[in-house]
Amino acid sequence: MLKRVSTLRTTGLLGLVTLALLGTAAAAPKKVTGYASLGVTEGKPGGTYTLALGDSPQSLFYYGVIDNNLGLVSQQLFDGLVEFNYATYKVEPALAESWTVSPDGRTYTFKLRQGVKWSDGQAFDADDVVFTYSQIIMNPEARAGDAASFKLDGKQVEVRKVNATTVQFVLPRPSPAFLLQMRSFIMPKHKLLKFSQEGGAKPADINGAWPSNVKESEVVGTGPFRLSNYTAGQKVSLVKNPNYWKVDARGTKLPYLAGLDFLIIRDPQAQVAQFLAGNIDQLNITGAQFPDLKQREVAGAPFKVFRSTALFGSPPFVAYNFDAKDPALAKVFSDVRFRRAMQGALNRERIIDTVYNGLAGLPGHGVAPVNRDWYANTRSQLGSFNLAAAGQALDALGIRDTNRDGVRNLPGGKNLEFDLTYGTDSSVYPAIATIIQNDFKALGVKVNLRGILSSKLLSTGQSGDWEMILHAFGDQPDPELRKPIWQPGGALYYWHRSLQPAQDGARPNVARMAPWERQIYEIFEDAAVTTSRSQRKALYTRWQLLFAQNLPVTPIAKPENIGAVNNRYGNYIYNLGVIPGYNPVPLIYQK
Amino acid sequence: MLTYALRRILGMVPTLLLISVVCFVVIRLQPGSFLDQYLEDPRVTRETVESITRQLGLDQPAYVQYLTWIRGIVTEGDFGFSFVNGRPVSSLIWERLGWTVFLALLTLLVSWAIAIPLGIYTALNRYGPGSTVLNFLGYISLATPDFLVALLLIALVLNFGGTNVGGLFSPQFIDAPWSGAKVLDLLNHLWIPMIAIGLEGVAGLMRQMRASMLDVINQDYVRTARAKGLAPRRVLWRHAVRNAVNPLISLAGLSLPSLISGTIIASIVLNLPTIGPFLYDSLLNKDQYVAMTLLLFSALMLLVGNLLADLALAWADPRIRFE
Repeated sequence: MLKRVSTLRTTGLLGLVTLALLGTAAAAPKKVTGYASLGVTEGKPGGTYTLALGDSPQSLFYYGVIDNNLGLVSQQLFDGLVEFNYATYKVEPALAESWTVSPDGRTYTFKLRQGVKWSDGQAFDADDVVFTYSQIIMNPEARAGDAASFKLDGKQVEVRKVNATTVQFVLPRPSPAFLLQMRSFIMPKHKLLKFSQEGGAKPADINGAWPSNVKESEVVGTGPFRLSNYTAGQKVSLVKNPNYWKVDARGTKLPYLAGLDFLIIRDPQAQVAQFLAGNIDQLNITGAQFPDLKQREVAGAPFKVFRSTALFGSPPFVAYNFDAKDPALAKVFSDVRFRRAMQGALNRERIIDTVYNGLAGLPGHGVAPVNRDWYANTRSQLGSFNLAAAGQALDALGIRDTNRDGVRNLPGGKNLEFDLTYGTDSSVYPAIATIIQNDFKALGVKVNLRGILSSKLLSTGQSGDWEMILHAFGDQPDPELRKPIWQPGGALYYWHRSLQPAQDGARPNVARMAPWERQIYEIFEDAAVTTSRSQRKALYTRWQLLFAQNLPVTPIAKPENIGAVNNRYGNYIYNLGVIPGYNPVPLIYQK
Repeated sequence: MLTYALRRILGMVPTLLLISVVCFVVIRLQPGSFLDQYLEDPRVTRETVESITRQLGLDQPAYVQYLTWIRGIVTEGDFGFSFVNGRPVSSLIWERLGWTVFLALLTLLVSWAIAIPLGIYTALNRYGPGSTVLNFLGYISLATPDFLVALLLIALVLNFGGTNVGGLFSPQFIDAPWSGAKVLDLLNHLWIPMIAIGLEGVAGLMRQMRASMLDVINQDYVRTARAKGLAPRRVLWRHAVRNAVNPLISLAGLSLPSLISGTIIASIVLNLPTIGPFLYDSLLNKDQYVAMTLLLFSALMLLVGNLLADLALAWADPRIRFE
């Protein structure tokens, strides 16, 4: 075993493919430069920046709970081995200074940045990385771990320490998107050992690490800030981590800010009020809030509102249940000609104008149009809003109003009438649902609105108890990361649940797939193990075209990112939210 | 009186048990599960959901879950743990109880201090312009939901360039040690929730006080007192008000559970660190032990409030006897 590994490593070293290297290998701190295009200038140290948090973090241990608010705080406390470039979204070094991938695509060797210290002064090394991956992320009992991504074809990814500054991952098979997993936050072994199996605890005990009433000094990270105070229900305060490993172009230590505060404010309107009052310095807002804030900005308020096209984020879609309880509906919904006809009754322009105040664009099919690496132009497949044409298409399917009651009838004679399930507590779903209901009515299709809590949309989708649903799934930089959503039979492919295998990861019911679904299934299987980038691109392009033509779901719009920031601060780059490896806050400075 | 109180307290036990069963059933009947939020995340697989279900004991039959919970309370005073926070329920509630009690008692005191004199005034000057105006304002504030008042106040403060638009402190004072400046900052923030939450209470209490004053004023004993030639002031305070205030004492007892659930929306809008939003969240997330504990606590408050009101009534009104 050991011998095999060392030969693997030698071959790996011989065929070195250095993907990216910033600065020289010997310089320990990372120099953050090259963002002039984003308006980034040299800042000055000092000042406090205040952000809003939607609720109290449920814990302070990132891998113990899935909690957006904890994610936002954790982003400032921890780093991963790699991170995104703020401008290009390319993966670049973070805690790992460089890495190599063996020619067979199975061995990833990371050279760690030297001289990095935890915020309590302890040295950071390979043991922390191995500990984080083997004891936390791959621990299936960790509630917010990611064990599934580290099991390929049922076999475990191996992680091992080569020496104090080198870590190696050996994969059972090639996985080209694996590098993106290396954005996971690295945790301090010296603080968490006692909660791990290695430290003698039970596997599930890791979830109990760092509860929300933990002593602040226990929470130790390598991130730009460290925890200084947590007042439940009111505020989380962070202060600058003096040991942070990034510097600006002139060599000034980052972050510029001396402090970063999160005010806990649950109500979005209250957040806006606090922003207007100057108690919050930056706020991400929705298209609905844009006009008011923009007006105030134009009238001379001390803040600016920024718009940017979004790569990440959740574009809404409508889906029809291929396995609807009513067999007549299930048959119609499974028919691609029906879904295409109904796309003609979907007034995207109006939704973008009225619901998003024009602050959204046409969507892609599984990939955001701004994603230059993977997006295939499917715009012509989106069709245009044309009720007459949609009506003719339905006529051609034999769905006509035979009894003259204003509602079209299915071939069996039943009215074409179904429920549209949507989230009532969202700023966009109710308005979109009403527009759809109206337009479909003009077409002679009766839609009954069925409102539920947005947080229940997915579980309702997966339960199969719905007919048409309005929901959203996030875009990611690499389609491989969204495989469970878009691959037929995947865990989140809920509009055709009868394809689902009995167990996650098992082979789905391929025999029941429509020919195009089978093609998409194969594409995702192939792309997952193809190492050539151009071949993967070709595969995913075909997938997007198949998606656009067959519409497993019908995407509606791609909302833009809108943020407002107080004029006192410079170097603002839109903060995407909880995207590990994308954190522009260290560059922000107080003027 | 002591035996009476003891008997009442003992009687609470079966009532509370029954209420806890009802709470548990209601929470279980709610659709969805705590694990719903986990499904949305691409990191979570079906195996993870299963292991979390096992960790939380949600794979056990409902009655086992209930009995385990009750046994914990009775034998160890352990109210279970929060699924969401992974911490014991009692410590979480404890963290939020201080401000909740402070705000509730303060609003209660303020609204009583304003409402009772106003009620007396409007009853005595039934047709004067002053009481007409007060009655009118009372109707309006009764009809306006507290969160709307809160939103209006926030808009008003913003318009005048104020920064105290939510919460109890300015950001820099939240985790600062107590000082004169911090107290001033608190007072500067406190008046908004006082008005928003208290206003409705004031209007209701005022109407109640006015009605019972009008009842009492024409009673025989008041007329007798007047006829005996007692000073009008003495008749008013010694006889009329003392009797008219009785129904309000029961009302005060009933208002104890509002500590927990009375001001949920206003607390969210005003961003107050109280228990209300915590209960709301736990119900939404199906964080069952937190929700059950809070509901049980609320029921206990109601029972205790009733008992206290009865005791206070007996003390205030010599006509009431315990047997």
